[in-house]
Amino acid sequence: MRYSALTRRYFEQAPGAGTLEGPGVASGTAGSRSLGTWVRFDLRVACTADPPGRIVEARFLAFGCPHTIAVAAWVAEQAVGHIPSAELLQPVDALRRSFDVPVEKLGRLLVIEDAWRAAAAAARK
Amino acid sequence: MSPPVYLDHAATTPVDPRVAAAMAGCLGADGVFGNPASAGHFHGEAALERVEAARAAVAAAVGADPDEVVFTSGATEADNLAIFGVAEHARPRGRHLVTARTEHKAVLDPCHELERRGWQVTYLTPDERGRIAPERLAAALRADTVLVSLMHVNNEIGTVQDVAAFAAVCERHGGARLHVDAAQSVGKTALDFKAGGADLVSLSAHKSYGPKGVGALLVSRRRGVRIEPRQFGGGQERGLRSGTVATHQVVGMAAAFALAVAQREAEATRLAALRERLWCGLEAHGGAIRNGAPQDTVAAILNVSFAGVEGESLLAAVAPRISVSTGSACTSASGEPSYVLRALGRDERLAEASLRFGLGRSTSAADVEEAIEAVGAALSRLRRIGGGCVTAP
Repeated sequence: MRYSALTRRYFEQAPGAGTLEGPGVASGTAGSRSLGTWVRFDLRVACTADPPGRIVEARFLAFGCPHTIAVAAWVAEQAVGHIPSAELLQPVDALRRSFDVPVEKLGRLLVIEDAWRAAAAAARK
Repeated sequence: MSPPVYLDHAATTPVDPRVAAAMAGCLGADGVFGNPASAGHFHGEAALERVEAARAAVAAAVGADPDEVVFTSGATEADNLAIFGVAEHARPRGRHLVTARTEHKAVLDPCHELERRGWQVTYLTPDERGRIAPERLAAALRADTVLVSLMHVNNEIGTVQDVAAFAAVCERHGGARLHVDAAQSVGKTALDFKAGGADLVSLSAHKSYGPKGVGALLVSRRRGVRIEPRQFGGGQERGLRSGTVATHQVVGMAAAFALAVAQREAEATRLAALRERLWCGLEAHGGAIRNGAPQDTVAAILNVSFAGVEGESLLAAVAPRISVSTGSACTSASGEPSYVLRALGRDERLAEASLRFGLGRSTSAADVEEAIEAVGAALSRLRRIGGGCVTAP
């Protein structure tokens, strides 16, 4: 399969791969390794109550195809400085176009979205 | 930056320079460019002479008689000609075929098409090493079975089947012809058409350092095999495959086969040592499972599944350094895992996360070390990104 330059860059460099620990860290996962796609986001949020704190650090883990790894890496990288919202910074369809993800892989992007939503929800608590 | 190491010789091989030189002599105005069917003039006769010499050389390389060689565009066409040709000819006697789940698509798809047209097909399942037991074949034969199609060397895992035992089973049955897809065989293992007892054998040139676009179907005259043609328009190749024979292609195939057979034993010994070093290195990375047993497989193919990584990412991660295939015949976005490995009992994730290393004449010890390092680096990185799980939950 051929990959776009953006996909290849984020797949090869995978910035933000890893986990976070300690106070202020919220996590969310989705998918299943046994089904081929699994994603986890760890978000460290600044300790301010109202409005909710901003994300100061984000990490991801991903078991999946190069598109899955690349998009998860991008989402984690772009999250820093933002308030943890249920919505991704770019809608799934926009991400699909940006990374030139084949339409038959849309489900894998939805796993990323679900993991993000779970992490963001945990962070808002 | 140097190109990746080529380790996909089971997919195709580069044309040997000696083969290319022989082919070049049949192309230009100074060469033997005539139509071999143009009898009665110098240029046609010269081309026919080259074609018949090539036919004799191909036959000699595989233990056949020259008049048993039908040139085709490749093994896929030969498989189609054999399967549809026998099915059509034997239709009054029966409409049942036997094949295996681990066959190449060039066999499976014609079988599926025959099913669509009303034939019945039994698909044999191999054991975990990829072998088809002759007893299972015997049990699958029915009174109306007209064809058995089983491959010689599996293209994904390299398992060599006992063709003579299959032939004996078909002989006892009395009514079933045996077709063998031997596209991977020449130069990798011994192939003797007469001694093997098969009725029909498919061959390919480009797996053995010959050109793409040419192959052959061996049709046993001694055994009185009759098939119906699939292509009409000139009656070439004893009426079984109409169309102008491509002189340069069959000359290339003949030259390639002669070289492959001459080098076979020495090359197999050399590649077996490289393959075992490759396996030892890959095994040391952890979570590696060998598909096929070394005693059953040709030296040129090593297939390994890797736990804890996703298949498409594994292939993409190693691609800058080595050119290999996944075990899967389909590397499309659908991510369909290898049906061959699934038939061997591998689960979906392992079947998907497998690499087929196809070693060949250009493969050196340094290439093998590069492959070991490239796969190790990819596994380490992808397992870390994936959370460090070596076994899929």
